[in-house]
Amino acid sequence: MNIIVLVKQVPDTESLLEVDTANATVNTQNVKWIINPYDEYAIEEALQIKEAKGAGSVTVVAVGPDRSEQALRTALAMGADTAVLVNDAAAEGSDALGIAKVLAGVIKEMPYDLVIAGVRAVDDDGYQVPAAVAEYLELPLVTAVIKQELGEGKITCHQLVEGGSLVVEAPLPMLFTAQKGLNEPRYASLPNIMKAKKKPLEKKRLADIGLDAALVGTGSAKVAISALALPPERKGGKMVTGDTPEALAAELVRLLKEEAEVL
Amino acid sequence: MAQVIADRRDVEFVLHEQLNVGDLSQHEKYAEFNKKTIDMVIKEARNLAIKEILPTLKEGDEQGVKFENGQVTTPESFKRAYELLCEGEWTALPEDPEWGGGGMPRSVALAAGDYFNGANYGFMMYAGLTHGAALLVEHFGTEAQKQTYLRKMYTGVWGGTMLLTEPEAGSDVGALTTTAVKNDDGTYSITGSKIFISSGEHDLCENIIHPVLARIEGAPAGTKGISLFLVPKFRVNPDGSLGEFNDVVCTGVEEKMGLHSNATCSLTLGGKGKCIGTLLGEENKGMRAMFLMMNEARLLVGLQGFGCASSSYMNAINYARERVQGRHLLKMMDHSAPSVPIIQHPDVRRMLITMKAYVEGMRSLLYYTGYLSDLITTSDSDEEKAKYQGMIDLLIPICKGYVTDRCWDVCSLGVQVYGGYGYIKEYPQEQLLRDSRILMIYEGTNGIQAMDLLGRKLGFNKGKPIMDLMGEIQKTLVQAKEFESLQPMAASVEAALNKLGEVAMHLGGKAMSPEVLTAFAYAHPFLEVSGDVVLSWLLLWRATVAARKLEKGAKKKDQAFYEGQIKSAEYFTQSVLPVSQGKMRSILAANAAAIEISEDAFGGK
Ligand SMILES: Cc1cc2nc3c(=O)[nH]c(=O)nc-3n(C[C@H](O)[C@H](O)[C@H](O)COP(=O)(O)OP(=O)(O)OC[C@H]3O[C@@H](n4cnc5c(N)ncnc54)[C@H](O)[C@@H]3O)c2cc1C
Repeated sequence: MNIIVLVKQVPDTESLLEVDTANATVNTQNVKWIINPYDEYAIEEALQIKEAKGAGSVTVVAVGPDRSEQALRTALAMGADTAVLVNDAAAEGSDALGIAKVLAGVIKEMPYDLVIAGVRAVDDDGYQVPAAVAEYLELPLVTAVIKQELGEGKITCHQLVEGGSLVVEAPLPMLFTAQKGLNEPRYASLPNIMKAKKKPLEKKRLADIGLDAALVGTGSAKVAISALALPPERKGGKMVTGDTPEALAAELVRLLKEEAEVL
Repeated sequence: MAQVIADRRDVEFVLHEQLNVGDLSQHEKYAEFNKKTIDMVIKEARNLAIKEILPTLKEGDEQGVKFENGQVTTPESFKRAYELLCEGEWTALPEDPEWGGGGMPRSVALAAGDYFNGANYGFMMYAGLTHGAALLVEHFGTEAQKQTYLRKMYTGVWGGTMLLTEPEAGSDVGALTTTAVKNDDGTYSITGSKIFISSGEHDLCENIIHPVLARIEGAPAGTKGISLFLVPKFRVNPDGSLGEFNDVVCTGVEEKMGLHSNATCSLTLGGKGKCIGTLLGEENKGMRAMFLMMNEARLLVGLQGFGCASSSYMNAINYARERVQGRHLLKMMDHSAPSVPIIQHPDVRRMLITMKAYVEGMRSLLYYTGYLSDLITTSDSDEEKAKYQGMIDLLIPICKGYVTDRCWDVCSLGVQVYGGYGYIKEYPQEQLLRDSRILMIYEGTNGIQAMDLLGRKLGFNKGKPIMDLMGEIQKTLVQAKEFESLQPMAASVEAALNKLGEVAMHLGGKAMSPEVLTAFAYAHPFLEVSGDVVLSWLLLWRATVAARKLEKGAKKKDQAFYEGQIKSAEYFTQSVLPVSQGKMRSILAANAAAIEISEDAFGGK
């Protein structure tokens, strides 16, 4: 069974993020980069499937600049077999659909039975790329999976929904996205770190996958970010005072109306 | 979010900008470890340390170890952390891959260990002692002993310890009374009691292998009659499976000031006459074997202390940025002035820069000492190898004695920066201080380290090691002087170095004169000033690297870091070295009050 995992490199959640207001982007100068945590669930699940089957391969695929190679190497150190990085200046500034076109373009060329992605990326929080990839590849899509069982030519997924889980079945090949709870991602072991650098990591340009540069990048993006700001700093709480429950409630209602202006 | 345990930029700086450890990969033995791989190893070590080991620190302290019916239970969270450590094969980083080691340069292993030990050295000690014990097996074991024990120990499946201390044999190991009687089959029956044995009994491993110092019946008194034995908790069958219990009984664990998560055990060997050991190395050469391993163990103790100090500093600097208290000194009289974060107060800055300078200097010292081992491995000249070994031997008492003394100081400042909260258990600072106190005592008290430096290392090989070290310091001085801004710092280091040379000659001479007692009363002050000078050199070296980078036009994000390097060196050379100069004057004067005072005059009777 050949499994492809979509991987995105995102700023370390530990990093101190600064907003570059002029360019409506995040200032990445002091940022350390990691694998999107949800993609770690996806990688782990792929590895577990491969281990259970005792055969097959896990390929991790990313679109991004040179530094994204680090994320792919980490995935290889976790145990993935091969990696592909599409690194092309023309793809920079792509919106979710642009990135999905590139990913679909690479995947199309490869043999696969299953594609796994993280349910979302913790930086843009867009939820869109995996769905768009599935659409471009004309694959069934199941999102937010917390458990799966592979059958003959099909897969049963437990999908996290409000207040419970939904059990859905899809034929292979298909794409599902990994939600927290699916598994516990492993740490890279020292021997695997050592092996990782010898594993194949292929770098591609748009031309290599026959994708017209005009279809991706800033130019073709349907979404543009017009401004970016940090959330306002949280102010201290306010204690409501009053002698009786009635007085407290009345004061609370007054504050909600007059100060918070939410009523 | 702020960083914890160790500043990663600083770790990278020492590895790649001060020592250039990536260059070791030019040698075939370390060919696998280019800069990229090293970075990945450190990154993953850090990841595991922060996510899985650091969370066990407080719980380990609170739960401690439990002793019941001869069994020791470690804190709950240790099981999973230990499994992850073993699964990832992080237990014997620099050792031979053929036996389950990681095969990496020692300098790199120290950097990984920086994170692991800083996360929770009490936890890491279970694996750390195993590593040390396994080294003994690798160096002195027969093929059969290696086949039986080595891989299982390097991979953490079995634990290891170090059984030296007895009630009457602490600093004076030669006084031990545990005995070994040879059996017909060549094994030995061991009888005796050991105390204060770290990781002596616990539930993380299925078997524990104890290297035991004991005296063979009829052997000479003192250290000359001591032999080393391998004594497993469970005997090992020829097929490698576990056999009978080997009569190593844990009779209790100590209640301590800190390090609660690591079991300090009393062990009775052969209470029922059924404790069997095999000789490790040669008869009566046990102390020599131990000495060979001592460098490794003492460097590790330095790293344990350093982990506490580095963590304490990271916590303090972050706290000082956030804790708002008091007005700025220049606005003292202005009641409408806002309160400021305490990092703006001069006295807090004094504490922080002191912590910073020591932590950085000590990081360089420990990695550098590991790096000297790597140079031995990669060099093919016997003369060079001997030179590096001499320098390591010389630096070890500083890495253990001086470093753990300073770590205690740094951790104490770490409490102080937090104010009252530093003393409260809710915050990590008081635990780091408590945990770091034992490091000045075990593995040879710091008093013993000082005597080792003065009595053995200083005059070793006619003083060649110290001359070699001074030669290295001179090289840095030459480079530092190329930068005008560093010249005053270089001048301070040079003056202190010259003075240290004078003090060493003087004190070394006294130690071989009728005033020997007075000389040894200054052994510890001598260790202190030696450490100060070495640290000032390493900080100046750092500053030189930083000045060079700044001159070439460093990236914006690096500018503050490099500026910080130069400030550490400036602080240390201008504010600490003058005090060291004063201490050196007092050593030269060598007042004999401590020796001449009569025992009665101490009072208290
Ligand atoms: C938590 C803990 C863990 C330990 N783990 C281990 C372990 O795993 N294995 C093991 O074998 N031991 C272990 N020890 C024992 C430890 O190494 C000894 O406690 C230490 O070596 C000091 O010995 P002592 O306690 O008998 O003190 P003493 O030797 O009685 O020393 C008391 C004081 O006298 C000084 N002193 C003694 N002799 C001299 C001298 N000749 N010249 C100058 N000063 C001297 C010492 O520096 C010290 O200040 C551990 C101890 C503790 C507390």
